[in-house]
Amino acid sequence: MNAPAQGGPPVISRAVPMAKPLSGRAPLWLRWKTMARVAWGMMFHQKLKLAGTLFGVVFATLLANQQLGTFLGLLYKNTMYVQNSGADVWITAPSVQQLPPGRTISDAALLTARAMPEVEWADGVLIGAATMQLPAGGSEPVTLVGINPERLKGGPWNVVAGEASVLTQPDTVIVEDGEREKLGGLNLGSTRELNGKKVTVGGITWGLVPFGPSYAFADYDLSRRLLKTDRDQMSAVLIGVKPGQDPRDVAEKLRTVLPDVLVRTGPEFEQSIRTYILTQTAIGITFGTSTVFALIVGFVIVSLSMLSSVVDNLREFGTLKAVGTTNLDLTKLLFVQSMTYAIIGSVIGLGLVTRVAGGIRSAKLALVMPPELIIGSIGVMCLLCVAASSLALLRIRKLEPAMVFR
Amino acid sequence: MSQTLAIDARNVTKSYGEGEIAQLVLKGCDLRVPAGEFMMLVGPSGSGKTTLLSILGCVLRANGGDIHLFGERISGVRESALPRLRLAYIGFIFQGHNLIASLSAEENVAFQLQMRGWSPRDASKEAQRLLDRVQLGGKYKRLPSELSGGERQRVAICRAVAGNPPIILADEPTASLDAVNGQLVTELLRELARERGHTVVCVTHDNRIFSLADRIVRIEDGLMLGEGAGSHAA
Repeated sequence: MNAPAQGGPPVISRAVPMAKPLSGRAPLWLRWKTMARVAWGMMFHQKLKLAGTLFGVVFATLLANQQLGTFLGLLYKNTMYVQNSGADVWITAPSVQQLPPGRTISDAALLTARAMPEVEWADGVLIGAATMQLPAGGSEPVTLVGINPERLKGGPWNVVAGEASVLTQPDTVIVEDGEREKLGGLNLGSTRELNGKKVTVGGITWGLVPFGPSYAFADYDLSRRLLKTDRDQMSAVLIGVKPGQDPRDVAEKLRTVLPDVLVRTGPEFEQSIRTYILTQTAIGITFGTSTVFALIVGFVIVSLSMLSSVVDNLREFGTLKAVGTTNLDLTKLLFVQSMTYAIIGSVIGLGLVTRVAGGIRSAKLALVMPPELIIGSIGVMCLLCVAASSLALLRIRKLEPAMVFR
Repeated sequence: MSQTLAIDARNVTKSYGEGEIAQLVLKGCDLRVPAGEFMMLVGPSGSGKTTLLSILGCVLRANGGDIHLFGERISGVRESALPRLRLAYIGFIFQGHNLIASLSAEENVAFQLQMRGWSPRDASKEAQRLLDRVQLGGKYKRLPSELSGGERQRVAICRAVAGNPPIILADEPTASLDAVNGQLVTELLRELARERGHTVVCVTHDNRIFSLADRIVRIEDGLMLGEGAGSHAA
């Protein structure tokens, strides 16, 4: 039982009106703005923590994009020939899932295609492995591509020395700049023995190094002789459709008349190659695992840094609660911090990876960074940082505002 | 004469822990504080005065009893309703100033105003006016770390009165200050409370400032023992 207060409270008389209970409360936009100001203030006040957290985001962005950029570069290397062939429709042997095709088809497919009214042109192409003898002894493999030199469909492209049209000259090849040293210091006019026959270098391309040996282009008939392929055999038929024709319709029509071969549009063939690499090789898993680990490491760093920041400032968060902020307000505070970390960190990370990509760019290795990857990276980092703030949020939600009196 | 009661707390109980280790801190406290009073709550360490202050400030929930602030019942309300009650009724002054270290003096005060619905521009002007009032006119942009202990506590007083909440709860506001600064800060708090019509409940050990109270209420071992008038009692 408590002792009664003696005499009760005094009567207070004032000339000034008494303060009354307040009804004002910040509208939603103002609460966001107020919380954002506090969020940024806290972030930039603790510069070491800011640097640590940003390091996590930058590290994750840099490593994930380096891995994904390299992976996309490898995918491009495998699809670049299809992309640059100029063909709307491809005909290959049924089992062909990537280049080089490995199996050949008969010229019946070529003749059938040429006979179709929707087809503007059709050429056979021959792709196979060849060996170039080096002056100092030994040999190096190349991927020999035989094309129709009159039309030049199926390459070469990116010719940086000489002209593509030199392929009309006898026993002439166009080789890749990135492999010139490896092939014994090739230059325009150099001669080498290719699959036992002397050829002359008439042109040089840049960047045409697929996942395997670099491309070397030659006239179709020369290639056929070098690769010892029968006259009626070819690796693929490249088809250009007439203006106004839909390649998908032409491909569908060809499928009905050529049931024993595989007919695909260019984009379908590219997708088929990508699917093959992703599902039938370890490349996708290898790069995917590295990317996921990069994101996990980034997540852990950001998560622990943000939690540590909250733990270090528990009294401030307790004070904020005591003076009227809600858990939702503090969620906004953490959200603003997360997004700020994500945007600053990913921009720095992308800046670095772009510089790295520029630094290591060569004919053999390229980091491919399409806009989708850049935008996607920022989006993923935003999600990662918001998710990483959940530990800090849990700690804040549990925080009793009464702790400020202890 | 009928008088508005700022705080009307009856039979308030509070215990920490459960079962055998439960410790009853408040054993049925009654406290009535008229609007406009400058009251000091005194008592030895562990007597329950800070717990009572926390309950009155809606940062801690009582186990039992009935509490009204200006006639609105605050005991038994949902947890989620407490932040609104704190904004509506309470300004806090803590033992440590508890300012946000990364915000300037002006921003610390303006923050509280913005939470009460003031626009950023008006909040900034009002914060400067309040800081001028406590002789911190040239130090709007200083961070708490760039201010002395007395100056920090003056900023904390500005934050507490910002927006004119009717009740100011102060927990040992002079504990971290020397005698001169402690006296100055308490006098300042009293002046502001008088000017603006705040009701003040000040928990303190500091008998040097007892003379500034309208009334002194003593609490010991979780029970209100009695009261006496300070020298400023009306």
